[in-house]
Order: sequence, then structure tokens, then C-alpha cells
Amino acid sequence: MKNSYNSLNLKKVLCITLFSFLFFQFLTFQSYSDNVKNGEVIVQKMIADAKKHAVKTINLSPKERSLKIEKLIKRFINLNFMARATTGSYWKKATNTQKEKYKSALLKQIVNTIEEHLNTLATLAYKPLKSEARGKKLVYVKGIIKDHSKKIPDVNLLWKLAKDKKGNFLVLDLEIEGISLVSSHKSETMAILRKYKGDFNALLNTFTKSE
Amino acid sequence: MKKNKFVFSYSLILLFVLSGCSTNLKNSAESTDPFESLNRNIFAFNKSLDQNIVSPVSAAYVKTIPHTIRRNISNHLEWMDTPSTIVNSALQMDLENTILASAKFMLNGLSFGFYDFDNNETKIPKKDLGSTLAKLNVPEGPFLMVPLLGPKTVRDFTGTLLDKQSLSNVSSNSINKLSLIEIPVNLVDKRSKLAKNIENIYESPDPYTKMKSYYIQNRRKNVYGDTYLDDKNNKLDMEFEKLLQ
Repeated sequence: MKNSYNSLNLKKVLCITLFSFLFFQFLTFQSYSDNVKNGEVIVQKMIADAKKHAVKTINLSPKERSLKIEKLIKRFINLNFMARATTGSYWKKATNTQKEKYKSALLKQIVNTIEEHLNTLATLAYKPLKSEARGKKLVYVKGIIKDHSKKIPDVNLLWKLAKDKKGNFLVLDLEIEGISLVSSHKSETMAILRKYKGDFNALLNTFTKSE
Repeated sequence: MKKNKFVFSYSLILLFVLSGCSTNLKNSAESTDPFESLNRNIFAFNKSLDQNIVSPVSAAYVKTIPHTIRRNISNHLEWMDTPSTIVNSALQMDLENTILASAKFMLNGLSFGFYDFDNNETKIPKKDLGSTLAKLNVPEGPFLMVPLLGPKTVRDFTGTLLDKQSLSNVSSNSINKLSLIEIPVNLVDKRSKLAKNIENIYESPDPYTKMKSYYIQNRRKNVYGDTYLDDKNNKLDMEFEKLLQ
């Protein structure tokens, strides 16, 4: 009698454990697929907004245009993360003022790069390819830029996104044909910082000179 | 006679490959820059040459020559490079690429490569001797900034030199003379296609490092393909996850 009671209990425990495990797995899967969907939506929205901006701002002065694009970009990228990722261990040594100045210099660099391609982007078509969750936080969104007139060859893009502390999905890095912008920027920043023995002000001066 | 020369040069390459494999395998993957100060000087020379000669010529080329003709010239230059892709795909045992490149070479050969009958629908990855050496585990070697040619690694520079040498061994004198015209036209054509990217590099705080980074990432992607991208992204993912904590 006691034995059958024990085995019944054991069965219950096993069932509950299995059910909880499956439920947990389902929730995790659900949250991963939600993350992937959110990532895809953000990328599509960013490209659509950039195209709209390209058309709307075409008659503005370069300065006004830059400001508009800056506002747009700020909404979609995790600038704080990018600044930390591109300065490595030197980030901790920088003062708050230096950090803020570096972030704004980095944003200007990004805006400049985008500005150069904005008019071309307006005439191209973006096609999403594949998205996947990477680890617990990251989402990869792959896409391709196609020029139907075939003047420009297809360009493969890979967006890396994650949630920030407020829960917004933001872009951490963009790979264009396998070239990571964060990696390239990091090697550049590190080379300058190494040259000036970690002097953050010298890095900021170099950035200002190149603007 | 020419065939013998061809075989001889490939035997030399194989010898080079084997000796490279036996000694330098452990040093592969990392790109080092021991000649950085010399490279920076050459970069400055290349940049001034580009800004004073190549860039204005390329801008004039884009302005004066209609897009259709420029595309035909590009097609022809790509077609001229195809034999190298065919030979190196075969050396890399990439049968699919060998067949596709050969078929496309013969098909477009009907117009001497000026017209792309395939309309660029079939993607054929370019293969050169540098990539063949990479497949044979020859280390990348230090980074080099070559006068006029731009960024290279020692392995890719060796590959470029041997590629040109072996092709001139098998081709006729008239084709060799033609390549004297092909080189500057190729330079101007490529410059016109990469104009925005090059300007973006020049405007950056450290143009030399940026160009090096772009070249190394692009070259490794072209040589190792998805294996390199997966490795790189796995490493970056770990770095990003740490920063996100």
C-alpha cells in the first residue's frame, strides 16, 4: 500500500517536473522567437524610415540634413554599447565628459557614413533573408540590398541587435559583406589609443581633426 | 615550351606550398603588421597618387563614359580574370566552380567578355593563387601595403605575382601586350566602383588602419567563406554578451 502510494507520488513529481521543463522550454522558445520578430521589425522600420528621410531631406542644407539623420540613427542604435565595444579596456579609464564627447564623435562618424550612401539607398530594394537568435540576448537579422537596374551588385547585410536596459531593441553592429563596422572602428580606435598611450583626449582630437 | 614553363612554375609553387606547410602552420590566422611604419609611408604615397591622378581620371571616366559602356568594360576585365578562377578552382578541388567558371568563360567569350550573356545571375566566387595557397594552409603572413597595388598580405601578394607570371607564360605576346592596357583600365574601373568607400576611408581618423581592417576582413571572407564568418561571429558574440551584462 505504502509502496504504491510512493510510486504514485513519484509519478506525480516526475510529471510535474517534465511539465514544468516543457513549459519553461516553451516560454524560452517563445521569448527567442519574439526577440527575432522584434529584431526583424526594427530593421525593416529603420530602412523604411531611412528611405523616407532620404527623399524628404534631399532639399535641405547639409547641416540640417545631418541633424535629421542623427536623430533618426539615435532611435535605432545602441550608441553606449558601440562606444564601449570600440574602445575596449580604455573605456573604463575615460572620464564621463570624455565618454560623452567620444559618443557624439562616434555618432558623427556613423552619420557621415550613412549620409554618403543615403541617396543611393533610396533607389534600392531591401529584402530580408534570415533571422536567428544567438545566445540569450543577441539577434541576427540578415538581408540583402538589391538594385533592380543592376548598376550596383547585391550587398549582403547582417544586423546584430539586442535589447537595451529599457527593453528597446537596438542595433549593436552592422556587417556589410562580412565587414563588421564595430570591429573596423575598434581596430582604428585602438590603434590611435595605443599610439597616444591610452590618452583619450588625443583620441578625441584625432576624431575632431578628421571631421 | 610554354607548357613546360607553366608546369615548372606550378611545381615551384607546390614546392613553396609544401615548405610553407611544414614550417609555418602554427603561425597561421593572425595578421601581423611588423612593417607598419614602412606600410604607412607607402599608404601615404598611394593615397597622394590616388588623389592626384587615379581619382580625377576615374571621376572623368564616370562622367564621360556612359554606364552601359562602363559595364561592358567591367565585364571584359572580369572575363579576362576568369582563367585564373578556373585554374585555381581546379587546384582547390572545387569542381562546381571550375565547371561554372569555364562555362561562363566560353559563353561570354563569344563577345570577348564584353557582354555578360548570363546577366550576372550565376554567382561565381573569384579564386586566385592566394586563395589556393590559403586552402593549402600556407600562413597569411604579415600585412603589406604594396606601392600602386594597395593592401595585401605576403601570401596574397605572392599569389598575385605568381598568378600574373603563370598567365603570361601560357598566353600569347599580343595578350601580354594587351594586359599593359588592361592594368590601368582595371585600376580606373575599380576605383570608380569603390569611390564612396575609398572617400569614407580617407575621411576616417586613421585611414591606414581602417583600410587594413576592411581588407583583412574582406579577404578572409572571400578565402575562407562561412567558416571564417562563423568563427568571427562566435568570438564577437562572446564579446558582445559580456558587454551587455
